[in-house]
Amino acid sequence: MTPETMTPDMNAPAPPAVEVRALAKHYGPVKALDGVDLTIEAGEYFVLLGPSGGGKTTLLRTIGGFHRPTAGQVLLHGAEVSHLPPDKRPTAMVFQSYALFPHMSVARNVGYGLKLAGLAKSAIAEKTAAMLEMVGLDGLADRKPHELSGGQQQRVQLARALVLDRDILLLDEPLAALDAQLRKDMCLELKHLQEKVGITFIHVTHNQEEAMTVADRIALIAAGKLVEQGSARDVYETPRRRFTASFVGENNVLDGVVASVTADGAMVDVGGAIVHAAGAGAAAGMKVAVSVRSELVDMSAAPGPEGASLPARYRETVYLGLITFHRAMLANDVELTSRLISTAGVAWRPDPGSDVHLHWPPGAARLHLD
Amino acid sequence: MVDEYGGRWGYRLKWAYLLLVVATLMSPVFYVMYVSFNENGFGAANYVFTFAWYGVIFSDRLMLNALAWTSALAIVTTAITVPFAVLAAKFYKATRHKVLTLLLLLSPLFVAADIMGASLLVYFKNLNGVFEYVGAALGVAWVETWFNLGFMTAVVGLIVYTLPYAFIVVLITMGRYRVQQTEAARACGASGWRAFWDIEFPQIRPGVFSACAFTVILCFNEYTRTSLLKGGFDTFTTVLVSQMLNEGMSEQSYAMSSVVSFIAIAAVGAIIVFTLIKSEALERQARPKAEPGT
Repeated sequence: MTPETMTPDMNAPAPPAVEVRALAKHYGPVKALDGVDLTIEAGEYFVLLGPSGGGKTTLLRTIGGFHRPTAGQVLLHGAEVSHLPPDKRPTAMVFQSYALFPHMSVARNVGYGLKLAGLAKSAIAEKTAAMLEMVGLDGLADRKPHELSGGQQQRVQLARALVLDRDILLLDEPLAALDAQLRKDMCLELKHLQEKVGITFIHVTHNQEEAMTVADRIALIAAGKLVEQGSARDVYETPRRRFTASFVGENNVLDGVVASVTADGAMVDVGGAIVHAAGAGAAAGMKVAVSVRSELVDMSAAPGPEGASLPARYRETVYLGLITFHRAMLANDVELTSRLISTAGVAWRPDPGSDVHLHWPPGAARLHLD
Repeated sequence: MVDEYGGRWGYRLKWAYLLLVVATLMSPVFYVMYVSFNENGFGAANYVFTFAWYGVIFSDRLMLNALAWTSALAIVTTAITVPFAVLAAKFYKATRHKVLTLLLLLSPLFVAADIMGASLLVYFKNLNGVFEYVGAALGVAWVETWFNLGFMTAVVGLIVYTLPYAFIVVLITMGRYRVQQTEAARACGASGWRAFWDIEFPQIRPGVFSACAFTVILCFNEYTRTSLLKGGFDTFTTVLVSQMLNEGMSEQSYAMSSVVSFIAIAAVGAIIVFTLIKSEALERQARPKAEPGT
């Protein structure tokens, strides 16, 4: 190799922060990860969302070096690292809980990685103090972890990870052990912190509200596979896969058969009623699913003015404060839910067992081929 | 769990039963201690309190020599057994085949001491024959004596005996340790060894020290394996027992038995008290984590 060829191409695009190629992790017959391909750009706040046991934590831990992949590759900033243990990777990690060192003070916890890196005591003290201030824990440096609240403990973990100046931070359900209100507050704090430090955050959660609060992009992981990825808005409003529609948001998912194909989707027979669903790839006679977000479904005594309108039997009302759920059964015994703002709900209150019409605007229904 | 509907007398009866069991177990030991302070020795009608027999211990060269041998065996056995026990406990926590691992590690406990000692004796005799043959064939004399009965074979026998106990003691402390802390240390840049030394060891230290104390006590208690595998009948228990069988229990034997019993009881008592205090401290630390944070 000549010196010319060794000079990096300054015009070449920077490699992605994380690239996962055909990644698999098997435990005997169990496939925790099954051929996952994923690319995460530098500086992104990326969320791995999915049900428990779906493989999202296994994927995060494999990126971090806590699992050796059965097959496939993990590249960090273009370098293949599948064979490297966690301490040899440019990643830091925040765990769900129980990961602070109980015999060390907050300051020693935060400074531990710096001590391993061989920094001078004064530099460690300076960086630790700055980081504790950044996460709002200045004044608590001498406390032991058990003297902190759950939220404070997670902040210490954040400080301990961020102080290392690594450019990829892995967060394994970091807010799962916190109560609901604190989780909401810390979600926003995490988002603002990521914007401030500008490094790549990869955050695992099964909580979709948490995911949508922080994510630039979301990937859905289930049964060891990458189901779908996209921006929070895309994943919520225009899910491509049936699983996404059933997992994210409150969607009504109806099975049906394609009656005819249209320019932007298909007309689908769902239990006797023909409804339009947007999406590509359908063919007449194909078994498909149609999803409609429950907040787009309205309810009235007479058929709706436009779009789809399905006759149903009213079942019950579930009042949740801001939102009220109205549940009704279609003729084929499939349940549909209408989710409305309580104060702007239906003008009339149907009795359980009475006939109603559920309707939604044109273009609201999505077509799913899988 | 406290039975809040149980009667007061039932509770007192349980305590009385417990104390009776402890008294039954410990009475012979306390009686030996009582005799060791009698100037007139065992069975004398007239009890005269004295420390004299404890002074005589140090003039009994046979007993002191036995104490030295047993101390050396205990130190070497502990130095090998406890690190093995820590490694075994770490392996046990990591493996998915926990029942099999536990069964294998505890299996020496299910073999009677006499049978295990005799088996090891036969095994070393045969092994000695093999090494004598190999040494002669190679013309290397020092290989021939590797498995002659002596200090090393006694150490092997004691390791086989004490390892299951030390493993259990370490495992009890290690059970509370959260492996996420090791992972967090690795994520901070620590190697596997460094994560163990900096993070895990300070938290399992009470268990490791308890295992050390327990191993030493077991070495002092052991008779069968050391008498069969050490050769020479010159360890503490073998000397004490042979003295008793040949000459009857001498007054300094009572004193020596009392000293060893006292050290053992004090060591075990200290371990229990320390473990209880540590356990309570760990509970206190765990409690806020189990509650929803603010």
